[in-house]
This record gives sequence, C-alpha cells and structure tokens, in this order.
Amino acid sequence: MISAIHTINILLPIFYFVTLVVYFYDFIKGEKKLVNVKRVFLFITLFLHLIYIVLRTIAFDHPPITNVFEIFTILAITISFSYFLVELVSDIRGTGPFIIILSLIFQLISSLFIQDLTEVKDVLRSNLLGTHVISALLGYSGFTISAVYGFLYLVLYKDIKLNKFGLIFNRLPNLEVLERLSLYSAIIGFIALTIAIIIGVIWLPVAFPKFSYFDPKLIGSTLVWLLYAIGITSKVLGNWRGKRLVILSITGFVLAILSTILSNFIAQSFHSFY
Amino acid sequence: MNLIAISINHRTAPVEIREAVYLKEDEIRPFISIAKNNQIKEGLILSTCNRTEIFGIPNTDETSHESFQNLLLNFKQSQNITEQHFQKFVSRDAIKHLFSVATGIDSLLVGDNQVFKQVKDSFQISEESNFTGYIMHRIFDATIRTGKRAISETKISDGAVTISYAAVQLTEKIFSNLSKKSALVIGAGETGEIAAKHLSEKGIGSLAVTNRTQEKADKLAQKLNAKVIPFTEFKESIYKFDIIISATASPEIIIRKDDVKNALRKRNNNPMILMDIAVPRDIDPETKKIDYVFYHDLDSLNIIVEQNLSKRKSEIPKVEKIIEEELDNFWEWYNSLQAAPAIKDLRDFFEDIRNEEVEKNKNKFSSEDQGKLDIVTKRIINKILHHPTIELRKADETSASVEASTKIGIIRDLFGINSNKKSEKE
Repeated sequence: MISAIHTINILLPIFYFVTLVVYFYDFIKGEKKLVNVKRVFLFITLFLHLIYIVLRTIAFDHPPITNVFEIFTILAITISFSYFLVELVSDIRGTGPFIIILSLIFQLISSLFIQDLTEVKDVLRSNLLGTHVISALLGYSGFTISAVYGFLYLVLYKDIKLNKFGLIFNRLPNLEVLERLSLYSAIIGFIALTIAIIIGVIWLPVAFPKFSYFDPKLIGSTLVWLLYAIGITSKVLGNWRGKRLVILSITGFVLAILSTILSNFIAQSFHSFY
Repeated sequence: MNLIAISINHRTAPVEIREAVYLKEDEIRPFISIAKNNQIKEGLILSTCNRTEIFGIPNTDETSHESFQNLLLNFKQSQNITEQHFQKFVSRDAIKHLFSVATGIDSLLVGDNQVFKQVKDSFQISEESNFTGYIMHRIFDATIRTGKRAISETKISDGAVTISYAAVQLTEKIFSNLSKKSALVIGAGETGEIAAKHLSEKGIGSLAVTNRTQEKADKLAQKLNAKVIPFTEFKESIYKFDIIISATASPEIIIRKDDVKNALRKRNNNPMILMDIAVPRDIDPETKKIDYVFYHDLDSLNIIVEQNLSKRKSEIPKVEKIIEEELDNFWEWYNSLQAAPAIKDLRDFFEDIRNEEVEKNKNKFSSEDQGKLDIVTKRIINKILHHPTIELRKADETSASVEASTKIGIIRDLFGINSNKKSEKE
C-alpha cells in the first residue's frame, strides 16, 4: 500500500498538470468539443486524489491534516472539487485554468515534501481537531476561490475599460457573475472559518496546556475573519460593490496565506506540529 | 440538370442597381406567375437589399440565362442594367451558389444569418405559389440542411458584426441578466431603433426612449413597448438606467461628465454602461475615467466588430467543406434519377421479393411444380413492371429531364429504393 501511495504522490502533480493543460488549451481554442473532455480529465484527477487521501488515512492511521504539507494536499483537492461543482452547477466555463493552477501548486509542494508520518501526537487524533482543521481548510479554499474570481474580475474590468477585447474578454463570464462567484465563495469560506474559530477557541485551551491567545495563527485567522466580516456586511448593506469588494477578498486571501506560512515556518507555537 | 440561376448582388452591382431590381414580397408572387407562363416550371426568387436572385428549372432546353434576365428587366422596367451586372450559374454551380448564399459566406457581412431566414421565406413563397416541384423540394431540403450545418458546426455566425449588436454583446459581458436591467435609448433614428430592438430581443427588463422630436419617440416606443421620456427631462432621470445608448444627430455633447457623476452617486455606484454610437459624439468621453462607468464609443465598438468579422472569415473554408459534402450528397441523389439505373433498381427490387417468397414456399410444391412456380411468378412480375418500364423510358427520351427525374424520384421514394440506402447496404 505504501508503494501505491508513493506512486500516486508522484502522479498527482502530473495529473493536475495535464488537466491544467487541457483546460488552458480549451481556454485558448474555445472548441465546443472540448467541454466534456476537460471535465473527464478533472474528474479522473479528483478521483485519484480521493483514493490517495483514503489510502494515506488507512496506511498511516490518521487523516492527512497534521502538518502543512498534508494540509496542502487536502487544500488542492478541496479547491479543485469546489470548482468542479461550480462548473457543473453554474455552467460557467473559462475560469478553470486559473483555479486548477492553484491546486497544482499546492499539490506540487505537498508531493515534494510530504513524509510517511505514522507517529502523530495523540492530541491530533481527536475528532474535534478533525472538524476544526477541515472547517478551517474549507474556509481557506473558499477564500482562495473567492480571490481567484476577484482577480479575474479586476482583469476583465480593466480590459473592458481599456477596450481590450482579447481572450479574457471572449472567454470569461461577465463581471456580475465573477463578482457573485467571488462573493459566494467568500461567504462559504467565512462560515467555515467561523466554525473553525469557534471550535478552536473552545477546544484548544482544553487540549493544549501551552495555549495562548497571542498565538500568531490565531491572531492571523482572526484578522482575516474580521476583514471578511466587514466586507460581507458592507456588501449586504449595499455600501460596497465590485472593485472594492474584490480587492478586499484578494487582500484577505494574501493575509490568510501569510498567516499560515508565518505561523508554520517562523513562529514556534503550539499551532505548528513538527 | 437544367437548373439556371442569375444573380445581381453586392459584388456585381452598385446599390442603385440592386435597389432598382429589388422585388418586394407582393411583387414576387406576380413575378412567379409571369415566370410560370414563360416556360419556367419551378424555381425560387430571392430578393434582399444586397441581392436579387432567380433560380429556375425551365420546361424546354431553349430557355437560357438571357430569358431569365429579360423576364426580370421587363418586370422591373429598369434601365442602365447591363450584362455585367449579372452573375450566371447553371446546374451544379447554381446549387453551390444557393448553398453559399444560404450559409452567409456570399454575404457582404460574412456569416449574416438574416439571409438564411430570407432564403427560407423565399422557398415558402415558391411553395405557396405552386412554384416548387419534386426537384426544387429536394434542393430546398439540401439548402436548409447545409445552412443549419454551417451554423451548428462552424463559427461562421458567431459574434457581433454590427455596431449596435456589438454594443449589446459588450453589455452582456458586464451584466449577467438583462431582464433585471433598465435601458434608455437616446435618439429614435435608425441606429437608435436597431439598438433598442436588439435590447428588447435580449429581454431587457425595461426600456425607455427619448428623442428631440417627441412624435418619433412615441412611434418607436409603441413599436417596442417602451416608455417615453420627454427630451427636456431625460437628464434628471439618467440615474435610473443601467444602460444608456445614445445615437442622436446632436452636434454637441448632451451628457457631460458631471451628469454621469451625479447619476452614479444617486445610484450608489451601481455600474452604468454608456454606449455612444453617434457621430459626432453625444457623451463626454471623459466619463470613461469614472469608476463603475463603462463608456464605449464607435471606435471601441468597431474593434469588436472587426475582430468578429475576421474570425468569421477564417471559418469560410470549413463552411466550404460542408457545402462540398452536401453538394456531393445531393448530386449522388440526383444521378440516381437517371432512367436506366432506376429501371434496373426497380426490377431488382421486385425480383428480390419474388425470389425470397419462392425460396420460402417452394417446398410446399412438388418438385416438377417448382420449376413452373418460378416461371409463373417471373411472368407476374414482368407484367406488373411492363407499363412502368415503358413509361420511364418514354419520359426519359421525349419530355424534359425534370419530368423524367420527377417520375423516377417518386418511384424510388414509393418503393424505398433510394440509391443512398442501396449504397449503405453494400
């Protein structure tokens, strides 16, 4: 089983890369024939990824959520899977390559550095931790997708204003749709992150004697949470829209990534596990 | 095949000539009656602002392109039209030309799908005037199939190639659902009217029109079920509209940057689209610098038009391939209408049935009767087929080929012995 895991670990970035190439080719060519082909590629990749995660969980006796490289592989699959659902439900094409490239990056980093970890601290086997981490991950993939759509919104907005009617103009969905997709994924991410923070604040002090409210990841996440809270409230109240909202979403995403990297690699706290 | 076609189109004649021979719908019907009295058995008359075309199958071999031309020139009494203004086609080339027209690759605006509808309408008129026979029907079916294939299999009609349509296409890149949006069209001239029509076809939520001459606005509004805003008051209400299309003949700017800024404030920064399709411009181009205002003028819309046109042009070879395929199909069918192969197919068909039944039942007969069974059944078949065979040969030799072809075609259809089916079996 271990050798199968190692093989899939190498295969996954390749599969994501091939899927990305197909999506990108379709983006440039815009052939009607390719619509179903590219979906099949994405589906196969996602399926292989799911098998990989199940195998890892069985072989190493814990879900792959205990360190940053395990988490990256989960992030890769949740991002692409969410996009897969968006594509099926909304019939919106043309944004795939911009999302799948992120899955490829996360999976590539994960594949390069992930280890066969069989020994994990007992505290990391708790179910509550599972819920905490998974909801945090859902939150982060929501923010990632929101940022991508936000970014695409800005690019298209600029292109339309500057009379550049190229590929971006021809292939992307319209501005309102991009804005809505960015908002909805931000809302889903926000709800998930809220759950993660609530569980964290209740459970962490009990589980970790070293728990501190000044933990960098906790502070970072709270900042990110506040930022999205402000953005979503202003949108609902009707004060903010379009450009300002998507800039906020992109800022939130960058902050979220920074907070993860900082707290995992630089700061030594109870929140980093190896 | 003695299908003859003449065409006056944007390539052969200037607009005055095309206008001079243009046949309105209520002229086409009497024209068809005259054509029928002048030895044209079945045909098609297509007339649009860019082309007038006559396709016809004459009764006799003497009827030529000149007879067609004279027919048209006598009917329209036009002068200044010379031989050079006509393109002439015959047989396979005539059908190929019809396919090219129907698919839009022969149009001034490449891929224009308006012409496909006009071709269909023309066939309808021919049909109603009893101007279509068996062959013309087949040509009609093949033309429609070719046109549909060009639309579905290629991008020959994709993208906007007129300014007003490009404006609407651009709008759809900004707003997702036009049924929830409101639009104001300033200027009820031709350009304004077309733009308003496009918006209304796209299901715009609410449409309003304003024009310096109120009557014109009223007229257009009635046509499109739109509201009318008095020209003197429209500036106060521009904030109510998501889309503003301006196409007036005004020599100076009528919407200033400040007007738009104020409107946007009142709209709480809800995005606004301003399409200035007037020459000279109606809206201050500086408005494009305001956030959430999408200002576009003729120049920027022209970029879209040019891009789409060149994309369409690059699709022409694909359409030509479809035309060749359909032409081959049609021709294969047409060739099966020759008398000799048709008679052979018919006899083979009956012989197959006879043979099958004899084989199935011959054990019910004694061995000496089996020989007789064969002879008797063959005699029956021969007697049944005697008259049709003679008639087909006679038609082929004496009357015009259309008549023979029609008879053969009907026989093939009735007995299901089409050449295509046969080749599939083989």
